[in-house]
Amino acid sequence: MQWLTPFVGLLAAAVAVPLLLLLYFLKLKRREAVVSSTLLWKRAVQDLQVNAPFQRLRRNLLLLLQLLALTAMLVALAGPVLSLDRGPGQRYVVLIDRSASMNATDVTPSRLAEAKKQAKVFVESLRSSSAMALADRADHAMVIAFDRHARVMCNFTSDKRQLMVAIDAIEAGDGASQLSEAVTIARAFAQSPGPDNGPRSDEGLARMVLFSDGCIDDLDAIAVASDELVYHRIGESADNIAITAMKARRSYEQPEQVEVFVSLANYGTQTAARDVQLGIDGDVRAVRSVTIPPRQEGDETQEWTPGKVAVSFSLTHEGQGVVEVRQLEPDALACDDAAWSVLDPPPKLSVLLVTEGNPVLESSLRACPIARLDPCAPAAFDAMEPSAFSLSPYDVIVLDRHAPLHLPRSCYLAFGAVPAEIDVNSPGELENQVIVDWRSRHPVLQYANLTNLFVAQTRALQLPRDAEVLAEFGESPAIALVRRHGSTFLLVGFDVLASNWPFEPSFVLFCYNALSYLAAQQGGGGPHELAVAEPIVIDDVAAGGEVAVTLPDASTVQVAPDPGGTARFPGTYRVGLYAVDVPEEPRRFYAVNLADENESRIEPGDEMTFETMTVSAQPQGVQRANVPLWPALVLTALVLACVEWLIYNKKARI
Amino acid sequence: MPGTRSTTRKLTELLDARFMARLDSLDVLSRKILQGKMQGERRSKKRGQSVEFADHRPYVAGDDLRFVDWNVYGRLDQLFLKLFLAEQDLTVHLLTDVSMSMSVGDPSKAQFVKRLSAALGYVSLVNNNRVTISLFADGVRVRLANMRGRAYLPQMAEMLLTADCGGSSDFEKACRDAESRRIGSGITIVLSDFLFKQGYEAALRRLIGARYDLYVIQVLSPQEIEPKLVGDLKLLDIEDADVAEITVSSALLKYYRRNLAAYCAELNEFCTRRGAVYVRANSADSVESLVLNYLRRVRLLA
Repeated sequence: MQWLTPFVGLLAAAVAVPLLLLLYFLKLKRREAVVSSTLLWKRAVQDLQVNAPFQRLRRNLLLLLQLLALTAMLVALAGPVLSLDRGPGQRYVVLIDRSASMNATDVTPSRLAEAKKQAKVFVESLRSSSAMALADRADHAMVIAFDRHARVMCNFTSDKRQLMVAIDAIEAGDGASQLSEAVTIARAFAQSPGPDNGPRSDEGLARMVLFSDGCIDDLDAIAVASDELVYHRIGESADNIAITAMKARRSYEQPEQVEVFVSLANYGTQTAARDVQLGIDGDVRAVRSVTIPPRQEGDETQEWTPGKVAVSFSLTHEGQGVVEVRQLEPDALACDDAAWSVLDPPPKLSVLLVTEGNPVLESSLRACPIARLDPCAPAAFDAMEPSAFSLSPYDVIVLDRHAPLHLPRSCYLAFGAVPAEIDVNSPGELENQVIVDWRSRHPVLQYANLTNLFVAQTRALQLPRDAEVLAEFGESPAIALVRRHGSTFLLVGFDVLASNWPFEPSFVLFCYNALSYLAAQQGGGGPHELAVAEPIVIDDVAAGGEVAVTLPDASTVQVAPDPGGTARFPGTYRVGLYAVDVPEEPRRFYAVNLADENESRIEPGDEMTFETMTVSAQPQGVQRANVPLWPALVLTALVLACVEWLIYNKKARI
Repeated sequence: MPGTRSTTRKLTELLDARFMARLDSLDVLSRKILQGKMQGERRSKKRGQSVEFADHRPYVAGDDLRFVDWNVYGRLDQLFLKLFLAEQDLTVHLLTDVSMSMSVGDPSKAQFVKRLSAALGYVSLVNNNRVTISLFADGVRVRLANMRGRAYLPQMAEMLLTADCGGSSDFEKACRDAESRRIGSGITIVLSDFLFKQGYEAALRRLIGARYDLYVIQVLSPQEIEPKLVGDLKLLDIEDADVAEITVSSALLKYYRRNLAAYCAELNEFCTRRGAVYVRANSADSVESLVLNYLRRVRLLA
C-alpha cells in the first residue's frame, strides 16, 4: 500500500485529533443535580469502579469510536492506494480476441466473457486524472476486438466508463483469429494523439495488452518489440471434438444420390466415442457412432496433431436441401459441433454451342452432366433474336472461334476469339506457347494440371484491370475471367484444336469445371457454403425489392440492394444456416461453417511465438492495481459514526 | 391572648387538631427510670418524698427522724428509715437537624422533622416534662431550654416554624454543645438524616450516657431511598458544594442502594450496641402514623 498525499493526512491529523479530544471533554458537560449529600454517591461510584474494571473503558467507548472514525477519515485523506504504479501516464491498447475459439466454455461462462472480465479489471486499475490524482497524467487506453479483422471499439481515452462500455459491446464471433491487423491498427492509433490529448502526439510506445487463448494463426508474421505486448492467457482445457470438414455432393452418375463426407478431429488426450447425426432439412436421416483416437503427441520438432476420423454417409435426396451434420455430445466449443451443406438440385444445364464444327469440344461437353446441348452455327447464332434467349434461356453459351455481333446476357465460354465490347483487346498472335502459371485452386481449374499444355497458336490478350487471370503463357494471359454487362466471360485465348489440350485429361476437367462454375454464376446461387464473415452476395434483385436474411438465431435482417441490383449481407459472423428470401424467388440457404482446424484447436497457449520473440503468458490473471482505498475508509468512518450514535442513544436511555 | 392565639394557629400548621387530640393520650416513656431535677410525675430511682413506699434502710446518725419507721423500731428495737420512691420530672432533649441537607427532598425532610419535633415536643410538654429543643446545623443554632407545660406550646411552634434550614452540618459540635448543657436525666431524641461526612459515631457516643436514653430517628427523602436520576450528571452537595460526577447506569444505582442499606444498617447496629434505639423514617410517610404506631412500638411513647 502506498500513500498519495501522506503530508496532507498528517497535517489534518495534527489539527483534528487534539480538536476532537478537546471537543470530547467540552462535550461532556454534565447536567447538574443537587443532592443532600454526595457521600453515598461517591461510595457507589467507587464501588462501581472497583467492581467493574472495564467501566472506565466503557465510559470512553464513545471517544474510542470517534477516534477510530476520525482515524479512518484521516487515513482516507492521506490517500492510500493498493499497489500503486508510479510514473507518468501510460498508454495501453487492450486487444481482445473474439475469435471462434474464445467461445469455448472451459472457463465459465466462456473465454470471451472471462477475457472481458479481466479486461475490465485492467481498465479499473488504470490511473485516472481526477482530484485524487494518482499520476501527473492519467493512463489512456483503447479497446480493439479482433478475429480475422480488427475492430476498434474505443479510441484512446482515460474515461473508464467509456472503456467499460466498449468492452461490454464486444460480441462473440466465429471467425478465425489473426492478430496482425489488430497490431497494425493499434500502432497506427498509438502514433495519433487521440481525441483527449489535443494536438499533442504521444512520444511513448503504447503497450498492448492482449487477452486471448493464444490460438492465433499469424503470429509468425508479426514482429513485436520486447515489453510492447503483455499476453493474458484465457482458457484451461484443450478437450474438443470438432467437425473440421464436411462436404455434401451429388453422385456423378446418379444425381439424386448424395454423398456426405465428414471429417472429425479429437483435440483431447482421451479416445472419444461420439454419435454423429445426419439430417436433411431438419429430418434426422442417420446416426453413426464413431470412435475418434486421441491426439498424437509430437516431439520437439513437431507439434501434436489431433486424432482424426472420417465418416461418410450416402443417401438419396432430390431437389434442394440443407444437409446438417452434428456431433451429438456437447463439448467446450459448440460452434464446431455442427456443419451444414446446401444441396443444390441436380444440375440440368442447357448449353448452346456456337461452332462451325468441333467434335472434340462437343464430345467433351457432352460428357458433362448437362440437360441438353444444342449445337448452332455462328451465322444462325447471329441471326437469333435476343428475345429467343430470354424465352428459352441457355445457361451457358460456348463460343468456338466466334465473336458474335450481339451478346445477350448470359455466361460465355469463348475459345480462340474475343467478343467485342468487353474491353478485351487482342493486339496480335503468338506462337508456340506453354502455360507458365495457373491458379490451380480456382474452381475453374481445380484438379486440372496444365503443365503439359502446348499451344501452337494463340491470340495475345490485353485485359481490363478487373479481369481475373486464371492461366498465363509467358507473354500473355491464356485463360481469363471477365465480367461485363451482367454477363460472365470465361476467355480461352487459343483454339483448342491448335493445341494438345484435347489429349490432356485436364481438358475434360476444365470443361466440366467451367460449365459448373458458369452455371453457378448464371443461376445466381453462387457458392452456398461460406466461411465465417464471408458476405452473402445476391445479384439481380428486382429494383425496389428487399432481401430478408434470417440468421441462425432466427432474427431477420433486411438488406436493400445497391443500384446495380446486388444485395450484400456481410454479417455472417456466426456459424449456422442463413436463409435468404428474395422477393418472388424460392428461399435460398447459405451454410456458414467454422471448418477451421486452428480455431477448433482450443488448447490455450502458454506462450506466443512471434517473428521476433516469444511472449509468455502472464503467470496470473490481471491484478487489481491503483485501487484507491479512500471510499472504503470513508464508509468505515460513516459506520463507526453510526455505531457511536447508537451506543450514545442506548446509554442515554438507561 | 392574641399572641397565643396566633402562635397556636401556627402550631396547627405543624400538627392538626385531630392529631393533637390523639397525642394528648400519650406520654414519653423512659426505659431507665431516671432521676429528675424537680419532683415530677415520674417514678425515680432516687428514693424520695412520695407516697409510694420503696424500702427500708438502717438509720445512721444525721438522718431525718421523720422518716424513721417507728413500728419496726417497736418490734425489732432497731432504727430503720422508711424510703419512698421519689416521683421525678423527665427531661426530653430534642436535637433536630436543620442543616441545608434537610431542605432537599420532596416532601422535604426539614418539614418532616419539624412536624415530628412538634409532635414529640407536644407530647412531652402536655405531660409536664422538661423539654429542650435544639435546632442544629454547624452547631446548635436555636435552642429553647427547660420548657414545661402547655404554656410553652406556642413558643415551641414559633421556633420550629421560623427556623430556616441553612449551613453545613457539624454534628459533633452540635452534640458537644447539647451534651454540655444537658442537666438531669431523661431522653435524647436526635432527628436527622445522618448523612454526615465527618461521621456520626463520636458525636453519638457523647450523647449516650448513664442518665439518658437515646433515640435516633433517621429521616430520608424518597429521592434518597430510590433515586430517579438519568444520564451524565454532576451531583452537587448542597452543603459543601462537593461535586460527584456520575453516569447513571443500572449498575451504579444498584451500588447506591446497596451502600445506602449498608449505611443505615451500620447506624442501626451502632445504636443497638449502645442501648440506643434507631428508627428510620421516610419523609414521604405521614408523621401521624410514625408517632402513633411506630414510636409506640419502640416504646418511646406510651
